[in-house]
Amino acid sequence: MNLLDQFFILIAVALLSITVLRNFRINDKMAPLWYGLMVVMLVRMAAVAYDGATLTSAFNIEILGFNMHWQFNALSWFFAIITVVAALASAIFMSGDWGRQYRELYEGQGGNYGLLQLALILNVASMLLLLASGDLLSLFIGWEFVSWASFLMMVLMPSKTAKKAAVKYVVYAMFGAMALLAALAIIYSNSVSFSGSLEFEQITQVFAGMDKGPQFSLALLFFIAFAIKMGLLPFHLWQAVAYAETPGPGAAFLGAISSRMGLFAMIIVIIQFIGLGHLQGMSIGLPFINMQTLLAWIAALTTIIPTYIALQQHDAKRLLAWHGVGQGGYMLLGLIMFDSIGSAGGLMHVLNHASYQAALFLTVVAVVYRTGTSDLNKLGGLVTQMPLSFLVMLIGIIGLAGLPPMNGFVSKWMVYRSLLLNGEPLLFVAAVLGTLGTILSVYKLIHNTFLGQLRVEHQNIREVPWSMMVPMLGLSAIVFITGFMPGLILPWIASVQETIGLPVIIHHLGGIEYAKGGLDMIWVSGILFYGFGVGALIFYFLGSKAKRVHQYDNYAGGHFLSADVKYHYSNNFYPGLMHLIGDWYRGSFKWMEQVIVSALSFVSKLFENMYRSRQPVMLLVIVVVVALFSIYKNTAGVSS
Amino acid sequence: MNGLHILSELLLMPLIAFVVGLMMVLMMRKISARIQRRIGPPFFQPIYDIVKLYGKDTQISHGLIHDIGIIMAVGGYIGAEILLPVPGMEGIADKGGIITLSYFLMIPSLGMALGVGQCANPNGSIGISRALTSMLAYDVPFIIVVFGAAWHYQSTSLVGMIEYQQMNSWGIVEMPFLATAGLFALQGMLGKQPFEIYIAPAEIATGPMVEMSGKYMGGLFVMQTFQLYTAGVLYASLFLGGGESWLSLLPKAFLVVAIPMSIAFMFPRYKTEDVIRILWKWPVMLALIGLAFIL
Repeated sequence: MNLLDQFFILIAVALLSITVLRNFRINDKMAPLWYGLMVVMLVRMAAVAYDGATLTSAFNIEILGFNMHWQFNALSWFFAIITVVAALASAIFMSGDWGRQYRELYEGQGGNYGLLQLALILNVASMLLLLASGDLLSLFIGWEFVSWASFLMMVLMPSKTAKKAAVKYVVYAMFGAMALLAALAIIYSNSVSFSGSLEFEQITQVFAGMDKGPQFSLALLFFIAFAIKMGLLPFHLWQAVAYAETPGPGAAFLGAISSRMGLFAMIIVIIQFIGLGHLQGMSIGLPFINMQTLLAWIAALTTIIPTYIALQQHDAKRLLAWHGVGQGGYMLLGLIMFDSIGSAGGLMHVLNHASYQAALFLTVVAVVYRTGTSDLNKLGGLVTQMPLSFLVMLIGIIGLAGLPPMNGFVSKWMVYRSLLLNGEPLLFVAAVLGTLGTILSVYKLIHNTFLGQLRVEHQNIREVPWSMMVPMLGLSAIVFITGFMPGLILPWIASVQETIGLPVIIHHLGGIEYAKGGLDMIWVSGILFYGFGVGALIFYFLGSKAKRVHQYDNYAGGHFLSADVKYHYSNNFYPGLMHLIGDWYRGSFKWMEQVIVSALSFVSKLFENMYRSRQPVMLLVIVVVVALFSIYKNTAGVSS
Repeated sequence: MNGLHILSELLLMPLIAFVVGLMMVLMMRKISARIQRRIGPPFFQPIYDIVKLYGKDTQISHGLIHDIGIIMAVGGYIGAEILLPVPGMEGIADKGGIITLSYFLMIPSLGMALGVGQCANPNGSIGISRALTSMLAYDVPFIIVVFGAAWHYQSTSLVGMIEYQQMNSWGIVEMPFLATAGLFALQGMLGKQPFEIYIAPAEIATGPMVEMSGKYMGGLFVMQTFQLYTAGVLYASLFLGGGESWLSLLPKAFLVVAIPMSIAFMFPRYKTEDVIRILWKWPVMLALIGLAFIL
């Protein structure tokens, strides 16, 4: 029994324990422990991450001549460690005071704390199963489990919006699963040797033996399946609302890693097994537009459009969830460049995004815990009441915006560098446009929540308890440390690149080595903090000591400010920008979605009416027409 | 590169930037005075101003983040100066490169935005909203220019770019369109007329600076000196061949900064949305034409 088998047994025991004990208080103490043990197990498996070895599980199933098997390589390990650490943070967060409040508020009204704990472990277990898949069939099974586990988590908030969003998600997910199944069927029936195998290697072989047309449709089916999970354009509509309406820590977990399962599958199928050669071979219309360019542009548009949708949100959770959709674009944009720096940036962004996104979500949930709202027009000035939460959010937004010295900068820098090296000016501008929109939007987030005027009703709230603070601080420590020393995780990235057959990045503790312009974050962060140090010296040692004044002691053009004057500037934060680009938000994708929904419901109504109608004559006529047509067709074939 | 050299770079680069920046402030005031047929301030006026601001008795703070905002604004620029290679001091600067520097330059803005936010004055917040919108406006042409330069010199290291220009010919000769677009973006970046709505004294109580007094204002003054210096030297390094020595670098830097200043005092200002409209149209178009020539 190797380490992977032990890992699976641990997951199974954890699943069993949480299923049985979920309604008892003891589970609150035990659940984080299980995730902690999973982290320990993954650390013990670290050889996979550093040496690029593969662990194959002894557990496998023979069905109809297929051998379904599970394995762990550097890629699986990389995604698994992110999943488990995100789950650990969420589990600690929800197991203390947050859980108590959730029980008090929602238990019996559609919320169920035990089910929430169960949903988390189910999500983790199914994701790990997916990450360990060794062939297309086990991938498909893991895929289905992940979809339904997320659905379970999304319906645990007693609001209509949440239920609606969850159902919308599941419809999308089923459509994606059908696409994946169809792709599998094509692979199976086109196996070159007709051995009917569903090993990953079959993808390459089947592709090589196909014409352009079928190749394109097969790639499209795979793309639809994975893009839906990842929320790539044009399938981005389901994700933000569904994640935002998930109960707090659940949203942090889903937002951090769940949708990256789509990226994981995309890396295996599109990057590793279809490969650059085939992608470039599939030209679409004009000779210079091939599948690689198309995917790169989908990724670029995914960074821009959802980011600017996020800019318009006035609910903190939705704002973050929309950014989650947008950041997925950077990951694909880096990977699709197929070079060492770009793909490393894309892969690293998965980890970086998970860390700051979870931290940000948890901060917003902490604010909701104290104030009861995440509406950005009803908050403000909380920095004096919740200073540590402010710090976590500050670190998180610097990461999300991709500014030095946090980890988001490192991965985005690599993506930019790769676009520069590949001579892609328009994609480069698109990526930067996404970043600039993010800066605007995250400033609005932190300003409207923590800065500005403190409302009267919030004057007595305090910082959140330590059970919630510890995971938040831990995550922000990851954001900072992996930004300061990206070399801590770059070896994992290098093994992943080796595993999936991409050029391997040359790295050191501070960043990456590259002849004409590398990056050394230890120096960069050092210089920045040196600058801050000098700035602090100038500020504190020059000039007389500053006097703190109350926030009402303010310039107000001759008016007196008092508690009942609401002067926090929050609504429609960027009017100048919206005057110009406001008209560009046309909701075209929403409109398209509605068109498809109405068309489908029309067709379904039509069929429903048909088999429910009590007019046998009409049914008879239809049967006769169909029968005559088929006879005519068959005889026509014979006579000619 | 030994320890002493590193130490001297860490200390001298910001110090030189500060002194040169002060002279650029003086130049700016002289230019505006000459355009308006005044004499203008005496040579040491910028220093008097800073001493006055830091020496004030009443210093009003609106909380810790207000202080930290000023520290970030000044400190971010001090860091940026060290990443900007100048003659004789390019050891540490080589660790960063143009992309890192471009993002470093956003940190002071973020710091200032945080500080202003803590002041809880809506006039300040509106100013920040406008300032960030302007950043979105001028950074788009700026980033195309950066891309073009990095592609043309096949390097993201500013040291490498300067070397290339000193061996071949200056960037402005080889990429005239990009250089013009860069100058256009510079006007927005420095917040000079017609793109200065977010700090204009006549608009909503001076916007971001509304709650800044004493050494807080002094911090922003120091930030402005750094900003002018950075703009001049960065542009000179990208397009004017940097400098073999300080004697050749400084005139270029002063010249670069003098151009937007001379233009500025002849213009009124645009509304925020018009700032975006103009900066996304003309310099972007110029920059894209420039890119088409070099790609």
